[in-house]
This record gives sequence, C-alpha cells and structure tokens, in this order.
Amino acid sequence: MDTSIQPNRGALIPWRPLLLGLGPALLIGGLAVLPTLQLMWFGATATATTGEAVGGFWLGWWQVWADDYLSARITWSLVQASITTGLAAMLGIPVAWVIARWDFVGRGLLLQTLMLPFVVPTLVAAMGVLAWWGPQGLLGQWLAWDATESPWLLIAGNLFFNLCLVIRAGVAGFASQSAAQFDVARTLGATPWRVFWRLELPHAAPAIWGALSLVFLYCLGGFGLALLLGGQQYATAEVVIYTLVAHELELVLASQLALWMLLFTGLVVGLYAWLQMRAATPRTADIRHRKTLTARQWMPVLGVAWVWLVCISIGLAPLAAIFVKAMIASAATWEQVATAETADALFNTLRFSGAALGVAVVLGVCHALVGRRFWWWRVWGLLPLMISPVMIAFGLLLLVPQWLDAWPLLVAAYALLALPLVIQPVAQALDALPNAWADAARSLGATPWRVWWRVTLPLVRPAVRRGAAFALATMLGEFAVTLFLSRPEWTTLTTLIYQHLGRAGRTQLESAWVLSAGLLALTLFLFWLLEEPDRKDTHA
Amino acid sequence: MLELKALTKRHGNALLLDAVSWQWPTVAQSDGVEVVALLGPSGAGKSTLLRIIAGLETATSGEVLWANRSLATVPVERRGFALMFQQFALFPHLNVRDNVAFGLREQGVSKAAARNAADAALVSVGLAGYGARATTALSGGEQQRVALVRALVTQPKLLLLDEPFSALDAALRGQLRAAFLDDIRRAWDGRTESVRRVLLVTHDEAEARQMGHHAWRLEKGALVPLW
Repeated sequence: MDTSIQPNRGALIPWRPLLLGLGPALLIGGLAVLPTLQLMWFGATATATTGEAVGGFWLGWWQVWADDYLSARITWSLVQASITTGLAAMLGIPVAWVIARWDFVGRGLLLQTLMLPFVVPTLVAAMGVLAWWGPQGLLGQWLAWDATESPWLLIAGNLFFNLCLVIRAGVAGFASQSAAQFDVARTLGATPWRVFWRLELPHAAPAIWGALSLVFLYCLGGFGLALLLGGQQYATAEVVIYTLVAHELELVLASQLALWMLLFTGLVVGLYAWLQMRAATPRTADIRHRKTLTARQWMPVLGVAWVWLVCISIGLAPLAAIFVKAMIASAATWEQVATAETADALFNTLRFSGAALGVAVVLGVCHALVGRRFWWWRVWGLLPLMISPVMIAFGLLLLVPQWLDAWPLLVAAYALLALPLVIQPVAQALDALPNAWADAARSLGATPWRVWWRVTLPLVRPAVRRGAAFALATMLGEFAVTLFLSRPEWTTLTTLIYQHLGRAGRTQLESAWVLSAGLLALTLFLFWLLEEPDRKDTHA
Repeated sequence: MLELKALTKRHGNALLLDAVSWQWPTVAQSDGVEVVALLGPSGAGKSTLLRIIAGLETATSGEVLWANRSLATVPVERRGFALMFQQFALFPHLNVRDNVAFGLREQGVSKAAARNAADAALVSVGLAGYGARATTALSGGEQQRVALVRALVTQPKLLLLDEPFSALDAALRGQLRAAFLDDIRRAWDGRTESVRRVLLVTHDEAEARQMGHHAWRLEKGALVPLW
C-alpha cells in the first residue's frame, strides 16, 4: 500500500481547520502575543522618570543598564540559571547513564518518581526546600546551617524541578543507542571509558543539550521559587519586575527590565528549537540492553547508590519534609488553618482550575487536530511555554487594565498556561494514529464526525487525560499569574500560603507548611484520579 | 458498474495516472463473485487508484463513475465501496464483534442487531466465538478474516482489496488465498441479488492468476490488459 508516501493528514480532522483553530488562536493571540507586544512597546518608548513616551524606540531599551541594581539583577538571573544548568548536567548525566544501563531494584519506581516534579506546585516545592534545607528545616537545623545566607536555597529549588528533565532526557538518549556500534568500538580497542566519551555521550548529547537549554530557560523565567527562596539578596529579574509593578508602581522600569528578559528568553528558545531539530534522529533497532545488577559488582552498586542519594536529597526529601513539618505543627496552627479563609481559598482554587481545565482541554484538542495538518501551527501552540507567566500577567496589566476585576480573564490566563500541556500529548497521540483507521472507518460508511467520535477520540483519550492531568496539576499550583491578577476575594491556596509567609509568627510559617502539604496531597490525588483509569485500561 | 474516465493523478512531478480510461469487464463464467486484479510494481500508483475509486483521494483530473453516474460529489462514506487495507486496519479499541459491527452501526442498524449480524458473519468465515476477543490477540490470518468480514457485512457494491495477503507470511498466504474467495461467497451468499464485484490490487502475479477472472497491469500511468 502506498499510503505511507501519500499522507492523508486531514483524515482525522472532523471540521474545517480554520474553525477548529479559531479558539486556540484567539487565546494565544489575545493573552500571550498581544500583551507581550504591548509590554515591548511600552518598555521601548517610555522614559523611567515620567512614564511618557519619548518617541525614540531604541532609547528605552538601554535605560535598565544605567541602573546598577537592575543590571545586577539581570546578571544574577543569568548566573543562577547557569549555575543550576551546570549542576543539573554534573548530577544528572551520571544518574541518567546508570538508569539507562543497569537494571536494579526500584528502577521503575525511580523513573515514576522522576515525574513528580512535573506535578508539584512551584510554591509547594519552595516550601519543601525550606522544610528540608532552610534554617527551620529538618536538615538545616541538624546541620545548624543558615542557608539563607547563600544562594543554595534557590539553586536547590531550581534543581528540584529541573534535574529530572536532564535525567529523563539523558535516559532516553542513552537508552536508544546501538549495541552493535559499541561492540565494534570495543573490538577496535576502545576502553569502556573511551566508548562513553567518544560514542555514548556524543550520541545522547543533542537530547541532553535540549534539556539543559530548557533548564536554563525555566530558571531564567522562574518566579515562585525566586520570590520565596532568593530573598532580597538573590532576587532575580522576574521578582524585581513583580516588586516594581506591585509595590513601587514603576511600570516603565519594570517593562524595560521585562524587555531584556524577553530577549534572553527568545535567544534560549531559539537554541532549544535548533537542538530539538538536531535531536530528532531515528531510533536504532538494535538498542543496547540493560545489564542486571548483582551485589558483587561494586562500581555499578556505587553508581546506583549515587542515583538514589541524588534523587532522594534533591527531590524526595523536600517533599517528605513538608509532610513531617505539617504533622508536627502545633494544635494552634491547625486551628488557624481550619477556617473559612482556607475553605474559600480551596473553593477558588478548584473553581478557577476546573473552569480553566475545560477551556484548555477543548482548545488544546482543537489545536492539536489542526497541528496535524500544519506543522507551523504546532510552534504557535508552544508559545505560552516560551513567555514567562510574569510577562504574560504584566502584559495583561498594561493591555487591559479595565478587565482586571473580571475573573474570566484569570481563568483564560490559567487556560493559556495549561494549553501546551494538553496540546503536546494529544498531538503525539494523533501522530501515532495510522491514517488507515480513519480511512477504513470512512469506507465503512462513517462521516468525518462519526470517525472522530467512534475511532479517533477513543484512541487519543488516554493522551487527552494525561494532558488534562498535567494541566490540572499546573493550574492548582499556579502562582505567578494569580499573584499579579488576583483580587482579595479570589485568594487561592497558593496565594494564601504566600499570605501566611508574609505574616509574623511561628504559627504562620507552620500554617504555610500545613497548607502546602494539603495542596500537594490534593494535586497528587486529582492527578491520580484523572490518569488512573487509562493506566488500568493500558494494563488490561 | 465501475468506469474510469480520463483519470489523471500527479504527486509533485510524478505522473501516477495518465488519463486512464477503463470499464469493468464482462466476466463470461461468473460463479457469483467477479474478481478483477490490478497488477503493478511498488510505487506504480495501484493503491492510489484504489483510494481514488474509494473516494479517499481526489484525482488531479478525470472522474470515477458507477452505473453511468459520476461520483465526484459523492463522499467516501456514501459510495458503498468497502476497502480492505494491507495491514487490515482493525480498530484496536474495539473487540472483534464491534469491529465487524462498525459499518452496520453507521448504516443505522441498532447496536444489538448489528452485534447479532456480526456474530453470524463471523460464524460464516469460521470465526465462531471470536466476537469478544481483542483484535490484538488474533493471528495474522484471523485478522485478515475479521477485516474481510467487516467489509462484507456492509453489503458493499464493490469490494476493494489492497494487497490483502502481503502482511501474511508466504506459507499462510498460499493457504488462505483459496479460502478467501470461499469466505466472500459464503458471507455474501443470498443477501443480495447482484453479482459480487471485487477489485484486487496486488504486486504478485501468481495471486492475480489464482484469484482474478481478468487482470490489468498499471505501467507508467496507463492500464495495460493482461487477460
């Protein structure tokens, strides 16, 4: 059959692409592109002192570098992202290699655990880092070390989220290599170490570099971690933008700072896209099989011990510390938490996330369907990942200040941030569907809508659920946009945690830990609820 | 009756069909099933021609006719031609029974009646008791029979077969060819009065000789009669 060389990409699309694409286009255009353009225009054409336009587009760009504090914040943002990226490479590549090459007890569990950071809310992760490494933390108290004097808390928070990215990319890169190539290299005289340097690492490098550029991007644009863990001394540019807007009303300076952050982000996104293209090499058929670990092989045993040590200390211990801190909280703390304020915050969290989830799933599926026909449409769908939530929220503040008291704007912003998380798995699932199934259904008398309903949708449903689960987890823990746009009556669990941290007293800190534990448990439960039925189906 | 009029198909610079005009032949000794084979090497455009007839692709120019009526504006689901794919294209989320019942449900048959008809059709091709099985649990030969019966239960005016044996190993292929036409006769037996027509696309001349009453070869965009 010749269908493989004559792709019928439209077979699975039940409606006209233009109509299907309208919703996602409006959401991305209205809430990501327009606010960003507004932000750029505002920053580039205004002066810091008066806020009035001066007409010189390029003049505004350089205002930031005249200010020592702001230029230092940009530099520190780049430095902390570089340090995290370097550490993620040093820790993550050996861990990935061991996981890719060896079978050991708990390997599957470890791989599943590496998904956790994708689900954990930013603020909860920050609270976890404080509960483990902080001056009041379990390890911090035991070591009698005040980590707030160093940038370690911020770096540890960055590593919590990003180390798993490098490990997962590394495992995929190392695991897909040809066994025959290594055997040939060994017969040609290469030691295992030389094989690693000359074959294994170069082969996995595009995937690893791609992950490292994402790590840099996330650290550069991160907000919640930097706000809670960086303090005044290690505040990043994103935190300064928030402070300038929310506390000092210096919109012009904030927008000029945002311009430079957008520029750096754009450069890294470009690098990432280039690396992704290079990483898209076909998988080899004769993949190298993993070896089973035995107790006598002391080097691999040490390697596996290293893997567990890294994953536990960076990833699992902070999460466990939150629950420990919550459990040992005083009765007064629990009384303080069990109030109408918490119930309202929980209700707001669920209603905003629930409404946004519906929007994100419908528009994400529509977008993925159109993306099956037009490749450039897919790039458009990834845009919300490339612009930081702070930039989006700040841009909206400038673009539609009169709408800021309308909760649908907050819901739409949530949906925008979640959109790529739905698009990506659904697009991959659609790509994996052979056109023959839709064609067979058509030839058996099904209309395009019936094909969608009876064939395509049931087959991509697991991907839709997976995307929805990740989207919901992201929205439950959303912090940056909520802080910018939220009003007192819209307080969510994340903003309530932040409010507790801003109040004096030990019970306030303990309340923040209790709420963090609650939010984490809620997120994990809802994530499991959405994903589990399809996992059961798959196993069956 | 199927007719092609000046059918042309281009893929970029490649000319797959060059103003092909053709008409369903008269079969002298029909035993209830008429099989016309379409031969040609890989990439000649056989499958493309089949997909154009089915309505899954459009021709660059020319038209497909059935009973002297142009099908240009008739969508694939309303042509009444069933297409059986090389890899069978069984729906993985449905069991064997629901795969077979799929086309009947699209014709408006109730779920229960469609399932009963599917079970009866499965019996006719020797797959009694297979209804509840997952399609992934079937052997290649069984998958082929399910795909065939799924196409046949819709009572198509024309059955289009796209390399129906190429996904099977050589030993099984020879064994199944003979049984294949019997399955078609049995499954169609007594359901309609018209002659059952099958257009078989294959690159295997032995297969075409064993099954086809007439055969054409698609060469350089033209149909050349063989027998």
